[in-house]
Amino acid sequence: MDVRSQISMVFHLDKCIGCHTCSIACKNIWTDRKGTEYMWWNNVETKPGTGYPTKWEDQEKYKGGWEVKNGNLKLKSTGKARIIPNIFHNPHQPSLDDYYEPWTYKYDELFTAPEGNDQPTAKPISMITGEPMDIKAGPNWDDDLSGSPIYAENDPNFDNLSEEQKAQMFAIERLVFFYFPRICNHCLNPACVASCPSGALHKRGEDGIVLVDQERCRGWRSCIPACPYKKTYYNWQTGKSEKCILCFPRIESGQAPACFHSCVGRIRYLGVLLYDADMIDEIAKLPDNELVEAQRRMILDPNDPEVIRAARENGVHDSVIESAQKSPIYKFVKEWGIALPPHIEYRTLPMLFYVPPMLPVMTSMDGDAKKNMIEGMFPDFDKARAPMEFLANLFSAGNTGVLKYTLKKQMAIRQYRRAVTVGDITMEAAKKMLLEADCSVEAAEEIYKLTTLCTFDDRFVIPPAHREEAIEMMKDPLEYKQQVGFGLREEPMRGA
Amino acid sequence: MRHFKLESLASKLNWRFAGISSVFALFLCTSLLAQVPTEYYKQNCVSCHTIGGGRLTGPDLKDLSKRQDREWLVNWLMDPEGILKSGDPYAVKMQKESRGAVMTRSPGMTKSLAIALLDLIDEESKLEKSQFAGSQISDRPLLQEDIDEGLALFMGSTKLKNGGPSCVSCHVVNSLDGLSGGRLGLNLTRAYARLEGRKGLSAWLISPPSKMMNPIYKKYPIDEEEILPLVAFLKNETEKDAPENTSAMINFLLFGIGGAVLLLVLFDLIWNKRFRAVREPMVKGN
Repeated sequence: MDVRSQISMVFHLDKCIGCHTCSIACKNIWTDRKGTEYMWWNNVETKPGTGYPTKWEDQEKYKGGWEVKNGNLKLKSTGKARIIPNIFHNPHQPSLDDYYEPWTYKYDELFTAPEGNDQPTAKPISMITGEPMDIKAGPNWDDDLSGSPIYAENDPNFDNLSEEQKAQMFAIERLVFFYFPRICNHCLNPACVASCPSGALHKRGEDGIVLVDQERCRGWRSCIPACPYKKTYYNWQTGKSEKCILCFPRIESGQAPACFHSCVGRIRYLGVLLYDADMIDEIAKLPDNELVEAQRRMILDPNDPEVIRAARENGVHDSVIESAQKSPIYKFVKEWGIALPPHIEYRTLPMLFYVPPMLPVMTSMDGDAKKNMIEGMFPDFDKARAPMEFLANLFSAGNTGVLKYTLKKQMAIRQYRRAVTVGDITMEAAKKMLLEADCSVEAAEEIYKLTTLCTFDDRFVIPPAHREEAIEMMKDPLEYKQQVGFGLREEPMRGA
Repeated sequence: MRHFKLESLASKLNWRFAGISSVFALFLCTSLLAQVPTEYYKQNCVSCHTIGGGRLTGPDLKDLSKRQDREWLVNWLMDPEGILKSGDPYAVKMQKESRGAVMTRSPGMTKSLAIALLDLIDEESKLEKSQFAGSQISDRPLLQEDIDEGLALFMGSTKLKNGGPSCVSCHVVNSLDGLSGGRLGLNLTRAYARLEGRKGLSAWLISPPSKMMNPIYKKYPIDEEEILPLVAFLKNETEKDAPENTSAMINFLLFGIGGAVLLLVLFDLIWNKRFRAVREPMVKGN
């Protein structure tokens, strides 16, 4: 057992209002520099939709992630031999057009335009060339199903759905969508790290954050096709690749990352997990429909004395183990089993989990009357507005069983709370539903509280960074202490 | 970190000093070696001068010291171009006799080397037949087989015995067709005439004195047996005196364009499944 700690995340999609505040918070801090204009380390997509970059989930084109070949895990985009003929030009990168050409407006013209019959307008200007441009697409061009005959219908998650199911989703009165905010998943088996010819990408030992060393990156851009989530980006100004750093300077000082902190809907949760790194290879090779449950097996119980002992042996600090015991992520993913990884069939073992949205709202308009679709205790999920297969393609590699489990549990809790507060459902019926949804009354209360009444401290259980231990690995902390300071009289040897 | 940088800078400088001094030492060694006058004469003088073998490009050096005093000769060896420029009457006369050819300053020439060379010339002049009396190339009539062999050597279909590069890699003669030859060096169609026939051309080939050829063929000289065929071939070329082959340049261009197109087609086939565009075809397709 090789116990390691990993900062993990849960996004509760039922709470996301699609306001893009997270994207803006991230943009303002990290990607407002030249060369990064087109990057959105955090972006919010509408599903169904093609996302950013366009159709990033279509791995036939983008070749992201891993595949099992002859019993071994292989990168789809590259390999030890393939990297050599392709090193100067990776053949599977998204073009700027597939992200979008970033632009601003020539606001000057609003003030300096000569007098005329028409209102002056601010012309769009490309942030790459500085020339006037026609705006053809943006990073959230398909927001709220805009342009859905093109964008939503081309969602790669529809690929194995029947025509009937597609029609069901797009019938105008049954139209359904939800928001899908995305950041780097800080995967356990990151394809970007494996693909890097320079060894610049690495997974930080103490908390599993995946980073690009800007000194070592040589701009080969192997990571860009390799990442199936398209969350590594090439900075055309510095000639190096960049990606979400999970705001590690904030995490190290005990603050939540900017996108978490700014989230209006409070959909984001963060905490540390302990996992068994010995199992990665074996689990990443399992068939698609076993992956979700297998990944949960890797996540270890932080209260198990055996796990604690092994964690200590591996140098995981006691305070990190304590933090793991309080982690909301552990509850969502392991205890309650209502958070699912996105596209785990890419086999990178993402450590960002989503509570799937309760899309199948169970009423519809029948003439002027509201018609309740629920017959019996639970709705027939197969008759839901969004086909289960669509959600399962997104969150459980096609396994509808684990997906229905999470929806059923959420539904039961909703009915239970209705019994408590409204009272139009009997407590007896509600408890029966909970029982059937594999949820105790205590767990239902806890899920309810963590979903609706959560404070900063409930949502973000940030483990102490212990930078002093990181220093110890490289040099004597007492010596280091003498070398830092302002250096008014004597210059300190910083970064030595 | 800063200390480390300084140290590494210092070590880099040391390495640079070591590099400079080793180059200097190497230079010293080679100049010492070249001071063996016989060797030096062989490498630098024989292509234009004989001792008692008649004039080639330059005059016969037999009894040189009887014609001109030593001080003048040493100065001449040290800086022939300078003396010519100064309008020295004897030098100008010599240049006229050589039909305008100018002697260049030989590489690594020093005063002591010049004296040693003049001593050598005096020694050799006294002998009945000097070792530098001219090339030992046979006077037999040149046959068609010689021309054919010369063509093979010129084109590189027969490799030069000592490993030197074949003529065609830098030179061209007009009668070649197809892609003809290299264009880095001179057109050799009239080389036989330019070097005044068999004797001059042979002497040239034994030890090519030009700046470009000298360092190459010093190491990999043309074998004596190969010289006659080459002379025969070049003589034949001069006699034919074919007009310049302009189609070769066009052929070369077409060949280049064809090659580039072929390469592009090949790249397209190999990377046929490369990523093209996603958004644009998707939007246009609907």
